[in-house]
Amino acid sequence: MSVSGASSSSTSLNVQSLVDTRLRLDELQRQLGTGTKSADYAGVGLDRGLAVGMRQQLSTLASYTDNVTTVDTRIDLAQTVLTGISTQAQNVRSAARLSGFQIDNTGQTQDQKIAKTALDAMLGLLNSQFGDRYLFAGRATDQPAVESTAHVLDGDTTRAGLKQIIAERNQADLGSGLGRLLIPPVVPPGTGTAVSVSEDVAGSPFGFKLAGVSSSLTNATVTGPAGTPPAIGVDFAGGNPNAGDTLKLSFNLPDGSTEDLTLTATTATPPGTNEFTIGASPAATAANLQAALSTAVGKLARTSLSAASAMAAADNFFNMDAANPPQRVAGPPFATATSLTAATPANTVFWYTGEAGSDPARGTAVARADQSITVAYGLRANEQAIRKSVQQVAVFAAVTFTTTDPDARDRYAALSQKTAGGLDPQPGQQKIVDISADLATAHATLDAAKQRHAQTKAMLEDMLQHVEGISQEEVAAQLMAVNTRLQASLQTTALLSKTTLVNYL
Amino acid sequence: MSLSQALNAAVSGMRTTQTGLALVAGNVANADTPGYVRKTLDQVAVAAGEVGIGVRAAGIDRQLDIYVQRQLQVETTGGSYADLRADFYQRLQQIYGQPGGDNALETIFNNFTSAVQSLTTSPDSNAIRNSVLGAAQVLTQQLNGMTVDIQGLRTDCENGLGNAVDEANQALQRIADINQQLGPLTSQDGTAAVLRDQRDNYINQLAELMDVRVVAGDNNQVSVFTTSGVQLVGLRASQLRFDDRGVLSPQSAWSADPTQRSTGTITLLSPNGGKVDLLASKAIRSGKIAAYLEMRDQVLPQAQAQLDELAAGMASVLSDRTQAGTPVVGPPAGFNLDVGGLKAGNKIELTYTDSTTGAQHQVTIVRVDDPTALPLADSATPNPADKVIGVDFSGGMASVVSQLNTALGSTLMQFSNPSGTILQVTDDGGTNKIDVTAASTTATASTLTGGSAELPFFTDANTPYTGAITSIGPQSKGFAGRISVNAALAADPTRLVVYQTSPLTPAGDATRPNFLYDQLTKATRDFSPQAGIGTVASPFSGSIGAYLSGMVSQQGEAASGADSLKQGQDLVVNSLRQRFNEAAGVNIDSEMATLLKLQTAYGANARVMTTVRDVINLLLQM
Repeated sequence: MSVSGASSSSTSLNVQSLVDTRLRLDELQRQLGTGTKSADYAGVGLDRGLAVGMRQQLSTLASYTDNVTTVDTRIDLAQTVLTGISTQAQNVRSAARLSGFQIDNTGQTQDQKIAKTALDAMLGLLNSQFGDRYLFAGRATDQPAVESTAHVLDGDTTRAGLKQIIAERNQADLGSGLGRLLIPPVVPPGTGTAVSVSEDVAGSPFGFKLAGVSSSLTNATVTGPAGTPPAIGVDFAGGNPNAGDTLKLSFNLPDGSTEDLTLTATTATPPGTNEFTIGASPAATAANLQAALSTAVGKLARTSLSAASAMAAADNFFNMDAANPPQRVAGPPFATATSLTAATPANTVFWYTGEAGSDPARGTAVARADQSITVAYGLRANEQAIRKSVQQVAVFAAVTFTTTDPDARDRYAALSQKTAGGLDPQPGQQKIVDISADLATAHATLDAAKQRHAQTKAMLEDMLQHVEGISQEEVAAQLMAVNTRLQASLQTTALLSKTTLVNYL
Repeated sequence: MSLSQALNAAVSGMRTTQTGLALVAGNVANADTPGYVRKTLDQVAVAAGEVGIGVRAAGIDRQLDIYVQRQLQVETTGGSYADLRADFYQRLQQIYGQPGGDNALETIFNNFTSAVQSLTTSPDSNAIRNSVLGAAQVLTQQLNGMTVDIQGLRTDCENGLGNAVDEANQALQRIADINQQLGPLTSQDGTAAVLRDQRDNYINQLAELMDVRVVAGDNNQVSVFTTSGVQLVGLRASQLRFDDRGVLSPQSAWSADPTQRSTGTITLLSPNGGKVDLLASKAIRSGKIAAYLEMRDQVLPQAQAQLDELAAGMASVLSDRTQAGTPVVGPPAGFNLDVGGLKAGNKIELTYTDSTTGAQHQVTIVRVDDPTALPLADSATPNPADKVIGVDFSGGMASVVSQLNTALGSTLMQFSNPSGTILQVTDDGGTNKIDVTAASTTATASTLTGGSAELPFFTDANTPYTGAITSIGPQSKGFAGRISVNAALAADPTRLVVYQTSPLTPAGDATRPNFLYDQLTKATRDFSPQAGIGTVASPFSGSIGAYLSGMVSQQGEAASGADSLKQGQDLVVNSLRQRFNEAAGVNIDSEMATLLKLQTAYGANARVMTTVRDVINLLLQM
C-alpha cells in the first residue's frame, strides 16, 4: 500500500474523512445531550416497531391511571354521602322509637322536627356534585338527582307534594270512617243474629283488608273471609257465647302490616274497650257485637290505619323508576276511590329527577381500570336502600297533628313505631351498607389496578430506554475516542502538508 | 560524428527539456483541477543510420488507467444514486417526527386515544369533550400536513429531474462538440490531451446522472450509450426533454398512456428525429435520475398510500356499521338485507357453501355510483379470497337485482327484491347444490344521532368517507390530505355522547365514548396491500395502532437500508478514486523531482553547447 502525502488529490479524500469524523463527533454529542439514540426512526434499529408499540402502551397506562385517580375520588365522595345518609337515618330511627307525643304550635313534635332537618340533610347530600357531575343521578349526571325538601313535602302551585298525597290517600283509606269496611246493622233488626264485616269494593287497594278470623265463641258460626268483596260473618243463631270468649279479626293494612282486633264477650254493661255485651238473646248479642265492632274498627282506622295509610302514601310517592311513576289516588272524590292512577310530572312532584332506568344502578357509571377490567360505581338516589331511608324520614316529617284530636296520641305512636320499624334493616332488602360495600370493592379493584399499572409502566420505560436510549458512559467513552482520533488526524494532516519538496528547493 | 552534430544534439536536448518544463508547469498548475490527468513527455531518440543524433518529443502521454476509470464511472453512478436516495429517505423520516417527540404522528395519535379514554370516564364533562375534539383536529391536521410534505418531496423530485435533464443536455452537447474538435487532431497533439480531459470530465458529470456505457471509436471519437442501449451522443448529441408538471398531488401518477399521465416523463430526441420515452422503456436504471424517479413514482406514493390507508381506517372503523341479514326460511332459504342505507363504496358480504364439496366461497358486492369504474377487479377489497362485484344503484332495485343475477347467476344464488329496499338472497332451493350461510351489509353512518354508537367522526372535506370507487380510483387516494373532523360534531360537542334524540341519551351515558375507544384501539380491520404493508395473499389485519406502528417501522427500516447502501457505496467510490488518483493524480513531490532533473539536464545541455563553441573557437584560432 503506498502512502501518499498531503498533496493535491489525496488531500480531498483526507478532508472527506476528517469531515466524516467531525460529523460522527457531532452525532455523539447530540446523543449525549438528548439521551436518545437517534433523532428519527431510521436510526433506532430493528426494534423501532417495538418502541412505537411500547409508547402506545405507556400512553394507555397513563390514561388508565388518570381514570383510576378520578374515579377513586368520586367513590370516596359517594362513600361520605352514604355515611351521612346512614347517620341521619339512624338519628331519626332512635328519635322515633323513643318519641313521646308533645306537639308544639306547628302540630309536630320535636322528633318530627329532627326528621325534617334530617330530610333536608339527606336530600342535600344526594345532590352532591363532583365537579359538574351529580353522583346520584344515574346516567343523567348533568341534572340534580333529587328535588328540594320544600318541593318534596309541599309541592308547588301546579304539582302535588308528599303532604297532599298523604292527605288524599288518608281519605281513600279511611273512607267513611271505618277503613272502607262495611259493618251494617243486623237485619232484620231485633231478630237477626248475623253480623257481617266486609270490604266495600272488591279489588280496591284502600282501607282494611280482611286477612282472617279466629274465634273461640261458643255456639257461634264464624265464616269467612270469603266472597267478592271478601266478607266475614258471625252468626249467633246457635246461641249466645260465653263470657270471656274472644273473636279475633286480622286485618291487612295498606303498608303491608297486619293488625289484629280482638273483641271479648262480656256480661258487663256497658262493655269496656274492645268488649261486647252478651245480650239477652242472640239477636241482642249480635246487635251489641255490631256496635262494638263499629266502635273498635273506627278507632283502629283513626290510629293504626291512618299511620299505615301515610306509610303507603309515602311508598306510592317515593317508589318510582322509569317504568313505574308515582301512584296517586284516582279521584276526587277520594273517599270512595277504588284505584290508584299513575301520576304525571305535570301534576305531581317526582322526587327523583335523575336518570331512572330499570337496569342495575351500579352499571350507570363504569370505569375502565385496565384492558379488560371495568369497575361499576354508578349510583341512583332511587335505589331501594336510599329510597327507603328517605321515604321513612319524609313521612315522619310530613304528618301533622292537632291537640283537639283524641286519637292523635295513638296515631302518633303508631306512626313513630312504623317509622322506626321501616328504618330497621329488613332481611332480603338492600341496605345502605350493601351499596357502600359495592363501592368499596370497586375502590379495591381500582387500587390494585393502579399498582399494577405503576409496575408495568416502570418495566416499559426501562425497556424503552434500552431500545431508544443510550448508555451515558459508553457514549462519553466513544466521544473521547473519536475526539482523540480527530485531533490526531488534524495534527498529522498539518504535519504532512508541510512535508513537501517545495519547501526544500 | 562532427561538432555540428554534437551541437544539434544539445540543441534538441534543450528543446525537449523546455517542453518537459512546460509540461511540469502545466501539471503543477492543474494539480487541483477536477478530472485532470497527469501528463508526461514521451521522449524518443533520433537516429540517422545507426548513430543517434539527438532526441525529440514524440508525444504527450496521459497517465491514465482506463480500466480503473471505467470502473470508477460505473461506481460513481451507483454512488450518486445511493446518495440521493438516502438523502430523500432522510427528509421523509423528518416527516414522521422524532420518536416519542411531540410532533411525531404516533404521539399525536396516542394523545387522541387518551382523550377518548378520559371521555369514557367523564362523558358529561364539557372540558373533556372539547379536548377530544381538539386532539382529533390536531391529528387530522398532522395527517394533512404530512401529505403536503410528502407531495412537496415529490415536487422536489420533479424539479430535480428537470435540473438533471438540463445538466445532462449540456454535458451531451459539450461531448459532441469535443468529439468534433478531436476528429482532425492526432493523438500526439497537446491540445488533444486537454480536450480528452474535458471530455472525460463531462462524461463523469453524465455518469452521475444516469448509468452510461462509453464506447471508443476511431478518430478519437467516443460514443456514449445508456446501459440499456440507447445512444445518447456520438458526433451529434441527442436532446433530452422533460415536461415538468410543477406541483404534484396524490392523484398525480406516471402512466405509459400520455392521456392518463399527470407527472413528467423524459423523452429522448435523437439527431435523426427518432423519439424514445426513457421511462416507458425503463432505460435509466441508476444515477440521480433513477433515484429521483424511484422516489417520485414508488417510494413517496407508497408512503402517501400508507397514510391514506391509516386515515381511511380511522374514518371507517368509527362510522361503518355491519348488520347481519335477517334469515329467510326456505326453501329456498337465504337472507333479507336492507340495502337502502348503503352509500357508494359500502358493501354487502355473502358467504355460501358448495354442498357437494363443502368449500366456502365469499362474495363481496360493492355499491358503485360511477358506472365507468365497473367492472371491479377482485383486488378492490383486501380480502384475497372473495369475488368482488360492483353494482350500479342508479337504476333502482330492479336494476340492482338484474345486475346481481347476471353477475352471480353461475353461483346458483338467486337475488330478488320482495319490497322496498330489501334485497333477498337465497340458495337454489330444492336442488340444494349451494347453501347461503351468511349475509351482512356494512353501511356508513351519515348522521350524528342515528340511534347507534357509530358516527361519521371524520369526513372527507365536507362529505362522509364511504370508500367510494370511481374511475379515478378509490376515495382513499389522497384522503390523508383531505381528512377533517366532522364540522357538525365540532359545532356540537354533545354529539360525542348523545347518539339518539328520542329518547334523549343522558349526559353521563358512556356508550358512544366506549365505542369510540374500543374501535380506535381494539377493532381489527383489513388494510389494502397496495400501500406496501401486508401482501396480496395475506393482507395486514390489525388495529389502527398496529398499522401505525407497522408503517413507521417499515419506513424507518427502508431509510436505514438506504443509509447503509449509501455508506457502502461511498466506501467503494472512495477507494476507487484513490486508486485512480495514484496513477492519474498530480503528486507535487514527483513533479518537483522531475523539475530538478530537467533543470540539471538543461544545464548539462547548455554546458555541452558552451564546450562545443569553445572547441570551434579553438579550431578557428589555429
